[in-house]
Amino acid sequence: MSGAIPDYLAALLQESLAAWGVAGVVSRSADGGLELRAASVHLQIARAPPGLPFRWLVGDGDRNRAVSGVPGLLRTVRAGIDPSYRPIAARIAALPLAP
Amino acid sequence: MIPVWVLTGFLGSGKTTLLGRLLKSPDFSRTAVIINEFGEIGLDHDLIETSEESFVALQTGCLCCAVRDDLVLTLEDLLRRRAAGTAPPFERIVIETSGLADPAPILHALMLGPTLAGQLVVAGVVTTVDAVNGWRTLDRHREALKQVAVADRLLLTKTDLLDAPATRLTARLAALNPPARLLTATFGEVEAAGLFDLVCGSRAPAELARWLALSAPGERRGTQHGHDTEIVSVAIVWDRPMRAVGLTLLLEVLADHCGGDLLRLKGLVNIVECPERPAVIHGMQHVFHPPAWLARWPSQDRRSRLVLIGRNLRQAWIEALLTALEMEVAEVHGVAAKLPATGEQ
Repeated sequence: MSGAIPDYLAALLQESLAAWGVAGVVSRSADGGLELRAASVHLQIARAPPGLPFRWLVGDGDRNRAVSGVPGLLRTVRAGIDPSYRPIAARIAALPLAP
Repeated sequence: MIPVWVLTGFLGSGKTTLLGRLLKSPDFSRTAVIINEFGEIGLDHDLIETSEESFVALQTGCLCCAVRDDLVLTLEDLLRRRAAGTAPPFERIVIETSGLADPAPILHALMLGPTLAGQLVVAGVVTTVDAVNGWRTLDRHREALKQVAVADRLLLTKTDLLDAPATRLTARLAALNPPARLLTATFGEVEAAGLFDLVCGSRAPAELARWLALSAPGERRGTQHGHDTEIVSVAIVWDRPMRAVGLTLLLEVLADHCGGDLLRLKGLVNIVECPERPAVIHGMQHVFHPPAWLARWPSQDRRSRLVLIGRNLRQAWIEALLTALEMEVAEVHGVAAKLPATGEQ
């Protein structure tokens, strides 16, 4: 995989590990992508190639998963680290706030 | 629209006593009360006398576990009876939870009941805290912590039984839920107007101001004494107006990753698409109200501000998330702006 990943994404992933209570490190790879190591997990994050309707690729050695943005990236990375993780879908209330 | 209040508080904290007194007050007439008692034989409703214009409905079983659907059915039934004239023309509804209830699922049932939309509004949560036993209860019972953390009003009861002011307990409550207004019942008496006035909506500037006053950026732990440290309030302030889609994505990620740990979220957000009218957002766990739009900014300060209360929340993570979402949305928007419009050659 290749493609420069912006610093804000590296910072977010590092903070996400802390927020999830996972000991791990996010570092930059030679091709400008990111590598995330946590316990026995090693993920590579890169920009998706032009022409695909995705922004990022998350690789775990065996395969790449394409995601369309930050929410999908975080979901995929967390699921890669913690197989028991189940995202909770946001719901919008039918009832409004008091006027 | 009829406001619905949730009255919660741990076992023995004085919810029923409070209701009993309020329902005799002229200020509190025209109130329908739904009492949820844990156990098959309810007693609390027998302890409450009401005026002619108010009345009590009873549900047994734990509202937060098994009978959420029943709650919606009860509310629908109340509204039908009111419309048909077979129930008094009540002007507010109070749901008293059982003392062991987690109020969040009850609020979710209310917020998500589609048939209730257009008829009811969620007004807020009042939590009673026993001044004598409250400290120990908070130490021992996770439900009690949650009841405090989700409150809009905290009512300290039984203060007349104390020899000295409950300074330590009130400090702990303020640390657990900084934006909640703390009121005190003296010999069971409290003014209904202060307790059940509207708190959540766009026409509640005083309440909004309370939340926003807490929005000096920072992360506050539950207390300084080693208790409740998992419950944190986090305030985030940022200058740049945000695109509406960025706010949607922010709420999506918070739900994804915080879920049940996000006990409350309130905020005022400067939206790029509507800069003159700030959006008031409000949520609990993974459920969010549609934004309420203020007619204008309440002051010259047009910064966006969020206050979150929950377990194990990290300010640095939320700030990094906000930055990443804003950058990504800006990048996508920048690309989209360069694309030809539909039909353009």
